[in-house]
Amino acid sequence: MASPERACAREYRPAATPAPITRRKAATLAAASRRHARAMLLASASLLAVGAAQAGDNAASSPAPATVSNEALLKKLDAMERRIKMLEGQLRQKKAAAPAAASDQRAAASARPTGPYAEAAAPVTAPATAPAASPAAAPSAPAAPPNHAILGVADSPIAGLTIGAYGEFFFGAQQNPAAGGQWQNGFDARRMVLLPTYQITDNIIFNAEIEFEHAGSGFDNDDKLHGTAEIEQMWIDFKIVDQFNWRAPGIDLVPIGWTNQHHEPTQFYSVLRPELYNGLIPSTWKVPGTSVYGTITDGLKYQVMVSASNEDFGDSFDNRTDAKTVPAPGTAYFPGIDGLNALSFSNPPLGDFEQLTNSMAVSGRLDFSPAFWPGFAGSVSAYFSPNITPRGAHDDFGNFLGHTSLTVLDGEFRYRVPNTGLELKGEYVQTIFGNPANLRANNDSDATDNVGKTMWGTSGEIAYHVPLGTILNSTWEAVPFYRYTIENLQTAGFTGTDLNAPTGAGQLQFHNIGLAVFPSPKLVLKATYQKVINRDPAGANSDSILGGVGFFF
Amino acid sequence: MSHWIKWTAPAAALVSVTSAAHAVQYLSVAQAQKLAFPSATGFVEVEAGRLWKAQAGGKAIGLFVFDRVIGKHLFIDYTVALGPGGQVHRVDILQYRESYGGEVRQASWLAQFVGKTGASPLEVDRDIRNISGATLSSHHVTEGVKKILGLYGHGAR
Repeated sequence: MASPERACAREYRPAATPAPITRRKAATLAAASRRHARAMLLASASLLAVGAAQAGDNAASSPAPATVSNEALLKKLDAMERRIKMLEGQLRQKKAAAPAAASDQRAAASARPTGPYAEAAAPVTAPATAPAASPAAAPSAPAAPPNHAILGVADSPIAGLTIGAYGEFFFGAQQNPAAGGQWQNGFDARRMVLLPTYQITDNIIFNAEIEFEHAGSGFDNDDKLHGTAEIEQMWIDFKIVDQFNWRAPGIDLVPIGWTNQHHEPTQFYSVLRPELYNGLIPSTWKVPGTSVYGTITDGLKYQVMVSASNEDFGDSFDNRTDAKTVPAPGTAYFPGIDGLNALSFSNPPLGDFEQLTNSMAVSGRLDFSPAFWPGFAGSVSAYFSPNITPRGAHDDFGNFLGHTSLTVLDGEFRYRVPNTGLELKGEYVQTIFGNPANLRANNDSDATDNVGKTMWGTSGEIAYHVPLGTILNSTWEAVPFYRYTIENLQTAGFTGTDLNAPTGAGQLQFHNIGLAVFPSPKLVLKATYQKVINRDPAGANSDSILGGVGFFF
Repeated sequence: MSHWIKWTAPAAALVSVTSAAHAVQYLSVAQAQKLAFPSATGFVEVEAGRLWKAQAGGKAIGLFVFDRVIGKHLFIDYTVALGPGGQVHRVDILQYRESYGGEVRQASWLAQFVGKTGASPLEVDRDIRNISGATLSSHHVTEGVKKILGLYGHGAR
């Protein structure tokens, strides 16, 4: 999936007539446009201020700790025991009178050999000296909490099936680089994702993400849609032992960085995803793959994935040939990797055996959250493909291109300073190309999008968590934040047949400042101002003032 | 295709060999009881499958509660041991089923609950640390322990 955040920076050009990407012209921002932007900011701020009128604290007031002697405790327990036995007797009588249909239903449920939905009878007394129960013998189920498994509002009709969801809406004003940086207001139902999970057994679990972007797709003029409906994840986990579990071949997220696997809107504070994930890591980076994962020791986890390789082909799906190659020499095509969009257009196809390379990639990560450093968590991860050159790749002179490898390295940390509201994050990403002379971007007659030996980016973020108290029956929190990101997608080391005349558009800086308000951990209201700077004389012309609403449940 | 077979066949074989023998249940109720009250001589079941009274020498030395909360989508089985005064003595995760968020099993995170009482705030980011990547699980386990303290944390009323 192309990164929508970056996609607007790329203009369509017919495959047969390659031309340099049109540069953004000098922008003169109209005063009226600025007023619109300010108005949108005020609207965002007023949205985030909602809830100032508190609806009262309904949280159960916690009683003071009781100091009770053992004797008193015993007496009270005995009284409670008698009462419970009396209630159980009443319950048995009530059950005996229940309709036969209900009995059948319970019998069917208890027939399940394992799983949280099995209702096995428990022994009345469990002596402490009894041998440890077999792990496979599930404990008797307690009165389960309300299981609103279907979108959090309805019970599941099938035991083990749940459907969650996450999504986000954006609104506000942003500069349009294709319009010379003109400020334009807009709205985007960016994504709505359904999350079906089915617990086939305690050890075999199905997971999927079904995503609708930009309000979905439609074909008639009155639909006003050009979004997507796609399978973003679909896999079955075999939970074997804590140290080793297997994710069967399916569609999964490359285990690199943090946000790629944790991209729900409640996991980051800006309206748009962190910039490092808009190209250097082509989030949502989903691939056909299989992996193993587990816990090495307390606070140290791993995942290793084998997947279909990314490919250096970023053109329309229709331009793949029946021979599963790029268009024949003489027909130009977009690169999957270039110096303006990084890896944004290089993700492998997910369906119909349409991949353009036999290469398999290997990726892996180590996650650590050391017990001796409370509040700190981080990861290191890497991705390697021995060859990302698609079949039949060529330059604009009819010469075929050889292989090149792709390596992506990432290190990141998250630190919530204990007993304070302070949170710090940092990340570094680097990509390395084994033989950049074979990248299409360096052979596509476009002198401005060339790629060197490496690309890199780093970011640092500071945030502060401010409790807002109980509002509308939930505990609210505000998180003001600032994030700085710098990227260089066009470093030294260029080789290839193209002229090399980068404009500086691939050398970027991002300033993000904003506020995220969490009415609950499942919901976030956001406002972010983003300033984008590059070294192009025409400027980046991509600033934005956006509000957002995100949810995850 | 041969690549897929080459990489997945060994894992599939391993699964077929090991999955029948092991379940990812980290502790049984009996094991958790023994860990929580090693000196107990017996556990009297007060509420079927949910609440036990730990005894030693004919005296109650605490309560032991089994409960479930939903993590992100699936149940988390956990137990809370309460001391005679109603304070949290120990919390264990017996079973965590989801693919992400299992960090709530970390001993250092669970140790934060020890000593908490019904008067404790028991709120993530206040007196319990949030776990990056396990936000919902850490909130829900914390809410579960708070619920148990509300029900049973008053020295067995």
